[in-house]
Amino acid sequence: MGNTKVLAAIHGPKVAENRSQALHDRAIVKCDYAEAAFSTGNRRQRRGRGDRKTTELASTIRSALEHTILLDLFPRAQIGVSVQVLQADGGVLGACINAAMLALACAGIPLRDMIAATSAGYLESTPLLDLNYLESTGGGPEVAMALHPNLGKVVMLVEDAPIAAEPFEAVTELAQQGCRAVAQFLRAQLLQHVQVVATVRGLAAL
Amino acid sequence: MGASTVCPGDRLFQAADYAAGSGTYVKGDHIYSSLVGTTRVFDSSLTAQDKRPVVEVLRSGSRAKVPEAGNIVIAKVNKVNPRLASASLLCVNTQPLNDKFSGIIRQQDVRATEIDKVELYSCFRPGDLVRAEVISLGDSRSYYLSTAKNDLGVVYAKSLSGVPMIPLSWQEMQCPETKVVEKRKVAKVN
Repeated sequence: MGNTKVLAAIHGPKVAENRSQALHDRAIVKCDYAEAAFSTGNRRQRRGRGDRKTTELASTIRSALEHTILLDLFPRAQIGVSVQVLQADGGVLGACINAAMLALACAGIPLRDMIAATSAGYLESTPLLDLNYLESTGGGPEVAMALHPNLGKVVMLVEDAPIAAEPFEAVTELAQQGCRAVAQFLRAQLLQHVQVVATVRGLAAL
Repeated sequence: MGASTVCPGDRLFQAADYAAGSGTYVKGDHIYSSLVGTTRVFDSSLTAQDKRPVVEVLRSGSRAKVPEAGNIVIAKVNKVNPRLASASLLCVNTQPLNDKFSGIIRQQDVRATEIDKVELYSCFRPGDLVRAEVISLGDSRSYYLSTAKNDLGVVYAKSLSGVPMIPLSWQEMQCPETKVVEKRKVAKVN
């Protein structure tokens, strides 16, 4: 993820904006994904909301989060997640999911587990973990994976190109290890953040 | 056990030995945390039949809350018409709500007796604060509320001259300045 920078914000749980979409027994998750025009090396025209790649990324993030949030605690509500990519240097999808998870945890929304995501690829017969922009444009296949580290479940696996069965094993194994490492880091950061918040508010508030 | 800080998905205890409180969930044989915060274990044997100690995860700040059936809420009346009064919910139990939720008190849910003779305008007026129970999630627009209990009904209302009124009986309130008596479905609050 290196130089990738993502900003995530949580809105809600609140009453579903579109009432016909609200579910009577659980909350719905809405996800907004946007890339800043200055996020990549060459400045480009901002893509519209309805762009195909944007929609697909948003729906991937949404489905990963839907499996993580305890949605049945908030019937008929909506939880909005908006992620904004400030700087894209490979592994954007993973960074978005990690940022969204941290935002959810800080917002006090009950989660089934932490979620940690990363990407892995296969270049010149070598499995690579956490590709940067240069590596991910190298032409090899790339796999993005999100994992529930404590429950040991893969909640998302996205391939951008077909991979042969043999390297696939190696790449996913590597991605899983990467996710575990990311999870450890996220966990440490989250705990540290809680400590800081607790100190600021005075320990009695926690 | 002392308080420790946990993350979502952390395994806390065996579900057989402890009961899961808020901020936790049970999966398989274990209790897991669902929030970031500190764990707290307390004895529930005084209140519940369940003798197991309860474990919960507390976080700093208030937790997001959504009204559920059976909750007691405080609502502010917005509109009154002959069949229903619509209100916006402000608090669930003792917790303030961050977002706007709307509720409806239907004519038949205002009081327990003579429910067909209820005149809504002599029970609620716009601006009143009402203590009510959520009876169901209602239709797609609003929660259904009920005030059909002694301790439910108007808890705070201003008279036409804008002064908070004093309850006289379960259906009347009086303005302390102009001595005008107005009709309300008054809650009996201890």
